[in-house]
Amino acid sequence: MSDRLDDLERRIDELRAGVRKAMRVRDGATARVLRAELRSAERAWDALVSGEQPRAKEEPQAPRAGQVTVREQVHQGLRLLGAAAQPRLIVAVSDAFFGGTIRSSRLTSLRRDEERSFRSSPFGRPYYLCAALTDRLSPARGLLTLSTWPLERRVVGPLSPRVDFLTCAIAIAEQESQDERAVRLLVRMARNIPGATDGSLGPPDPARVVEAARAELRVHAERDTRDRAELAQRAVAQLGDAARLFGAATLSTIKKEKAE
Amino acid sequence: MSGLKREGDHVHRLEALRGITPQQPHDARAIAALAANPGCTRRALMDGAGIDKDAAARHLGFPAPFGQSPFAITRGNMFEALVKADGCAELLRMLRELLGLPVAEVSYHDVENVGAHLRHAHTRALIDRAAREGQDAGTLYDHPLLSLDIAGHTAYLEPDVVAFQLGGRFHIVEIKSFAVIDGQADPSAVAAAARQAAVYVLALRNLLEELGHDPLKVSHDVVLVCPENFANRPVATLVDVRKQLAVLRRQLTRMTTLDRLLEELPDDLSFDLRPDEDGRPTRPVAELADALRRTTARYAPDCLSACDLCFFCRDEARQEGASDLLGRQVRDELGGVASVAEALGLADGTRDPAEGQEEIARLLRNAERLRRECLN
Repeated sequence: MSDRLDDLERRIDELRAGVRKAMRVRDGATARVLRAELRSAERAWDALVSGEQPRAKEEPQAPRAGQVTVREQVHQGLRLLGAAAQPRLIVAVSDAFFGGTIRSSRLTSLRRDEERSFRSSPFGRPYYLCAALTDRLSPARGLLTLSTWPLERRVVGPLSPRVDFLTCAIAIAEQESQDERAVRLLVRMARNIPGATDGSLGPPDPARVVEAARAELRVHAERDTRDRAELAQRAVAQLGDAARLFGAATLSTIKKEKAE
Repeated sequence: MSGLKREGDHVHRLEALRGITPQQPHDARAIAALAANPGCTRRALMDGAGIDKDAAARHLGFPAPFGQSPFAITRGNMFEALVKADGCAELLRMLRELLGLPVAEVSYHDVENVGAHLRHAHTRALIDRAAREGQDAGTLYDHPLLSLDIAGHTAYLEPDVVAFQLGGRFHIVEIKSFAVIDGQADPSAVAAAARQAAVYVLALRNLLEELGHDPLKVSHDVVLVCPENFANRPVATLVDVRKQLAVLRRQLTRMTTLDRLLEELPDDLSFDLRPDEDGRPTRPVAELADALRRTTARYAPDCLSACDLCFFCRDEARQEGASDLLGRQVRDELGGVASVAEALGLADGTRDPAEGQEEIARLLRNAERLRRECLN
């Protein structure tokens, strides 16, 4: 028993140091996750010292929720999708393919936390979750992208929301997962692609969805690629590192920052 | 010149009616409600002057259980998010099925990407470009901000989506979360949605006209999106709002020509709540109620779902025993007979019909005779 206590104490010290470090670089997301782990470690320590058994219900969820951070789960989801996506879709993908535990409400502050972390130590992390850029090079509302993607994939022209939707649908269909949640997600997406379903209520054939989505993509591809290339060029020419990842400030955000 | 002067007077008079109470901006719901009861002088005056009817009703002791419940708002927002998710994927499917939107037309502009203060200007610029260039200009405009002039004041309106390129015309898309079950929806909910959509159609037509385009490029068919049956799957239907547009236009012109109504009012009349520094009304309740009673209301039971002052007017109608209480249809049938007591008197013959009431008196007596025969 004292071995376990020693282990726990070491773990608590580590976590405390981790929280402190995260707070120093103002990385709110990591700090929150570490704090939660710290609390559960402290509870386990309390229970051991007073001789109680830690409550059973905490154990099954601990390994999954604790080890993969929200940030990492979003990263997984986005890597699978391969295109800018709304938090709602990322959550659905993470839920269907990675047994994810995130909720969209937890993604609202994510982008701001990432930006803060980037500004305090630029390129300190292997990847950042960042914004999609609009035709004004400002951050697009409610879209997440990965910093590792080429800029062309991270800007949105007028046709891009549709192109991204089709790209995401192809990515999901290609997983060919039999999981119920994955099938439901595919049904929902296939419904909105012409020719992707045969009109029956059953689950759609993934190959058919891919083919239908590719067919519609071909209609939009040329114009969208042109729009995106032009936007990306402008972004490279006009924006600094941080703005290229998180979008140029619009007038209203500048006003807000000044007011703070 | 004299016209100008008259207009100045009228604005001045409306401001006097409102007094020092801050003006209440109009939203689409409020404007749509105007069209619901066009004959009500009280409402026309209060809306013309931009008076906060809700505050007035609460101060009078007749608060209306009015406005949307927070649950309904959350539900509405969730459904709207679902329809608009992933670049309006669901909406595109419905427009393709319903109106034959070509597959290539998927362009999406989120007007809200610019700052809030630029949204109206940005909407104007985008709509102008779409109307001028036609092809390639865009298909869906999310979160546009339109404006409409209400009795000299600008009201800002936010339609859910404006769609373009369905045969070169603009369509207003209205997303509502009441269900369409077996092809049938609650008629009053549809009517309210149609009235609200008509406000947007009118605002968009005005915008096109200002920009020098043909206002008829905005279709009078609006796309109403609702959940189908008991699932959350959205379904779209076209709703013709020509009738609502006509009523609305008439009501708005009437509001800008309030002169006639204003001339009949005594000079010292004011609906001012005299709010103190914290915005609490300080005007004696009896005095405000008297002031309101000097304008004629046209109460109908429908008011209960459209007007903040409904309970006040209902109470007034009850005290007078007015036939309005029985609903519009009865009131119209009883034309010329203002109160329930009068109608009963005519029916049992204790009251002689006045000039012009002979016809309705005969009908009422017949009805009374039939009723007796049935009961005996």
